[in-house]
Amino acid sequence: MTRREPLRMLRAAGALALVLALLAVPLLFADFRVYQLSVALTYAIAILGLNLLMGFNGQISVAHGVFFALGAYTSAILMTRLGIGYLATLPAAVAAAALLGLAVGIPALRWQGLPLAFITFGLAVLVPPLALKLEPITKGATGIALTKPTVPAWFPGSQDTFLYWLCLLGCALCVLIARRLLRGNTGRTLRAVRDNDLIAESLGVNLAAVRLAAFTISAGFAGFGGGLFAIVNGFVSPESFQMTKSFDFLVGAIVGGITSISGAFIGALFVVFLPDWSADINLAAAGIIYAAVLVVMMLLARDGIAGRLDALARWAAARLTARESNGPAAGGERLDAPSGDRHYQTQNQR
Amino acid sequence: MQLFLQQVVEGLASGAIYAALALALVLIYRATRIVNFAQGEMGTFTAFLAWQLGQWGAPFWLSLIVAGGLSFVVGVLVFRILIRPVITASENTIVNICIGLFIGFEALCLWIWGADSHPFPRLFSDQIWTLEGVRFSATNVGTLATLCVLAAGLMAMFRFTRIGLAMRASAAEREKSPLVGIHVETMLMLGWGLAAVFGFIAAVLVAPSLFLSPPMMVAVVIYALAAATLGGWDSPAGAIVGGLIIGVAESLGATYLRFIGSELKVGIPFALMAIVLLVRPQGLFGRTRVVRV
Repeated sequence: MTRREPLRMLRAAGALALVLALLAVPLLFADFRVYQLSVALTYAIAILGLNLLMGFNGQISVAHGVFFALGAYTSAILMTRLGIGYLATLPAAVAAAALLGLAVGIPALRWQGLPLAFITFGLAVLVPPLALKLEPITKGATGIALTKPTVPAWFPGSQDTFLYWLCLLGCALCVLIARRLLRGNTGRTLRAVRDNDLIAESLGVNLAAVRLAAFTISAGFAGFGGGLFAIVNGFVSPESFQMTKSFDFLVGAIVGGITSISGAFIGALFVVFLPDWSADINLAAAGIIYAAVLVVMMLLARDGIAGRLDALARWAAARLTARESNGPAAGGERLDAPSGDRHYQTQNQR
Repeated sequence: MQLFLQQVVEGLASGAIYAALALALVLIYRATRIVNFAQGEMGTFTAFLAWQLGQWGAPFWLSLIVAGGLSFVVGVLVFRILIRPVITASENTIVNICIGLFIGFEALCLWIWGADSHPFPRLFSDQIWTLEGVRFSATNVGTLATLCVLAAGLMAMFRFTRIGLAMRASAAEREKSPLVGIHVETMLMLGWGLAAVFGFIAAVLVAPSLFLSPPMMVAVVIYALAAATLGGWDSPAGAIVGGLIIGVAESLGATYLRFIGSELKVGIPFALMAIVLLVRPQGLFGRTRVVRV
């Protein structure tokens, strides 16, 4: 038996538990909570895009709220002005956000790191007043109200449940795409650019192409999340897309863990429900907690909650493996060793 | 023509404020290769402190001096507690911490002083001089004079004092400076403290016209980022020139470009920044950094 087996099983069990919990939601909660969770799922998609970009490709973006807003407005406008079916507007939302992502990514290519932070930060500040100003298109501060999709006859359940399932399907699709991107050659290329761009370049990786592609895809994810948000929320206005939305996504990504897929969901739950609960203490409490969490995470746990959980799983797996290979008697020595070196040794001895 | 000149004067005055904040950013960048996004919010926080002292009955100038001293302490503490432990970490980590500070200081102001805007006393008299039909208000002249004093003081410190020399040395050669007896840590703390004071001055200069409120400096930070990018991140002189250019461009743009108006003014520094990054990423006065592989 290889030493990875218990770890894989633990991880699979964790993922299964998450999926089961997500499936059980409509049975357990009232409609309003289900709606909130749907919103959290749309955030999770945007955060997943941010994870792809920041965690796996090493590029920062403080502007994912902008891509999200663009997706939401695209969907809303196509539905209300042109009467296009809600599902058909989603590809357009993705395309619009991805195009903007491409346009933002190009100026930042020449000087990675800080300039990208400046440009995206500027964009996050600039777009809310722009949405107000473009009143003929966005209806300004009034916002755009749209009719939520009707529940099909075959669906047993309320409208909120139906929308929740829609979001869940969207998430599943995004998770599949993200997993595909992170696996094999594409994933290695993305990570190589993150870890050492000079070496990656000397190995024949086209840095500009990879970075632009990552930025475009990541923005596309956020646009998709935004489109779904418009459908679930039934209303879009500049109020929903202040600069703080971009910060929410950043905080969510970091809390959940930027180098994981499940982290996006943990982070989304955090940024949807924390402000809700902390508003009872003080309106500013959420901001203080966000700031504290951001700073503490950066100082102590850069891989976020998902990363810590994974470390826990690895620790448990190491413990299990140690039991199996050395017998229970040997279980007392250095069980907490996080690295696999010791286990390679025990295997070789056998 | 008169309108044009008037807008240039107004632009130079607001540009001086952006330049002060940009100077703070450049000071920190030169010393630690960090761009402190939260500099403006820290300035807002300490301007609130000054305002609070005034509310408690302290004379205006005294409250400014005390709050200025406090902002030095805030800058040093932020560096010592939050930045120092991660100073060798990746750029993104530090950007995230600075965004955290940005959110944190804004939320702190909101918690303590609420979301209302408060009037802030002017630093200069209401006097207005007119020359060839162009009005020079005491506020505008005073703001520009403040910038000149700050810049001259900074330059004199860097050029003529031992401490200034040590700060320059530790910014240029962090590893080798200790060999000649420079305590780099102290110099970096000093740099962060000074920058916080500059941020405070920028906030105090901007507060009378924008009114004191937690998000007061959000847009100003963009202007300062654009100014520093335009001037070149390793050049204090560039930050000043960049700030003045951005100020004038903003004021002229808001006047002459119909669509921009006052709501989208922040688009002007943003566009300038994007253009500079595309055409000349090192800025007007900056040097290209050579990286050894």
